[in-house]
Amino acid sequence: MFEERDIHELIRALRDCGNYDFSNYSLKSFMRRVEKLLYDNKMDIYALTNAIKIDRVFLEQVVRDITVNTTEIFRDPSVWQAMKYRLLPKLHSQKEINIWHAGCSIGMEVYSMEIMLYEAGLLDKTNIYATDINTDVLKTAENGTYSLRNVKEYLDNYNKALCVNPYNFEERGTTPISKYVDMDERHDVMRMKPYLLNKATFKKHNLVSDPNPFGIKYDIILCRNVLIYFNQTLQSKIFGDFWNSLVDDGTLVLGIHESILGPWAGKYEKKGLMYSKKQL
Amino acid sequence: MLNVVIGGSAGSFQTVTNILASLPKTFPFPMFLCLHRLKYVRTGFVEALELKSSLPIHEPQDKTPILPGHVYLAPANYHMYIDPGNTISLSTEEVVNHSRPSIDITFASAAQAFGSKCVGVLLSGANKDGALGIKLMKDMGGTVIVQSPDECQVKTMTMAAIKITDVDFVFQSQQIINYLQNLKE
Repeated sequence: MFEERDIHELIRALRDCGNYDFSNYSLKSFMRRVEKLLYDNKMDIYALTNAIKIDRVFLEQVVRDITVNTTEIFRDPSVWQAMKYRLLPKLHSQKEINIWHAGCSIGMEVYSMEIMLYEAGLLDKTNIYATDINTDVLKTAENGTYSLRNVKEYLDNYNKALCVNPYNFEERGTTPISKYVDMDERHDVMRMKPYLLNKATFKKHNLVSDPNPFGIKYDIILCRNVLIYFNQTLQSKIFGDFWNSLVDDGTLVLGIHESILGPWAGKYEKKGLMYSKKQL
Repeated sequence: MLNVVIGGSAGSFQTVTNILASLPKTFPFPMFLCLHRLKYVRTGFVEALELKSSLPIHEPQDKTPILPGHVYLAPANYHMYIDPGNTISLSTEEVVNHSRPSIDITFASAAQAFGSKCVGVLLSGANKDGALGIKLMKDMGGTVIVQSPDECQVKTMTMAAIKITDVDFVFQSQQIINYLQNLKE
């Protein structure tokens, strides 16, 4: 156990020695992450703070371990159904589509999105950008290769997202997932098909401190279950950053239990499960 | 202001429904529910609980401000924290005690946020989640109630809590209901 002031000392060390600012993370879940880190490393908070100050490699490891990487293929199928039947059809007439996955973790939603774009015949004219603070998960995302055991429970998401049209129950898709992934039970591997790999550009990026990572405007930004780890001050800053990075009428997709509160609330319009950028 | 925090797992659904059905519309405190449920049952749970409840039940959004007379149910597959600033935070980090939401996480954060202004209730369940949370609530000056193991469909959870904490009350579900109905500042 440790005191809140010890946490602030740790946060200061991460900022001074690594340029990572965790001071506006949501305090409770951040403390929980630190507790887990201490337990896994068999350290107390003073030893951890000292080790961070002298060992840059260890500091980077700590940053990777503190951040949370939970994700699923087609997480919340209803969101992907809205993507397929409501949002993507509007983008058909565009010459080019730009999409940013902010906090992409191991890339499962990057590939979910690619599959949706492919289904809609839009993949070829779409540029996909994906970022995360954690370089380990970016590597996994780039490889598009996962433990089949770990993803199996989410395959039902795929069926719901791709084969059920909630806006027209008579329409049923039949595309088997084998069109998009290779599965090898014996070696416990699920790998995205070659035409889905090498499509996205992956880059390390810290939402807290870094500017728009590709310097362009996006039609869609997906940032799901990332901002829940930030306090409201930092959430507001990011909602402003996203607003500035979206094209007019661009779409922001958050986790289904995330919403835009605070000063930027009025500058987005909630459309079903997504937000769209309003003109000022 | 007092805060009521209820945790339960296997065999607790009926008890929770009964508690909600028996509280008046004028119940003056916020209530938090952290219930284990089957992973693939992601929708329909609020509606089921709301059928007989006169209090509004929400699966809260992240950073939702806490209001008296409202019931907050930890969403499926999210941990639910009580923040010091009287808001709710969610997280999708690893399962704790094989559970997400974890009762220990909600209980521990409630203990720290509310101190002595906290009433914790642990119901029937099949693992040890919640036991440490009950202990922490008690240590921080809260009042802790555990459903009588004799009455629980599965008593692992309540036994685990009683084993490590000198709880304030071991109650049958009707006594829990009476206690909450008469709860005053």
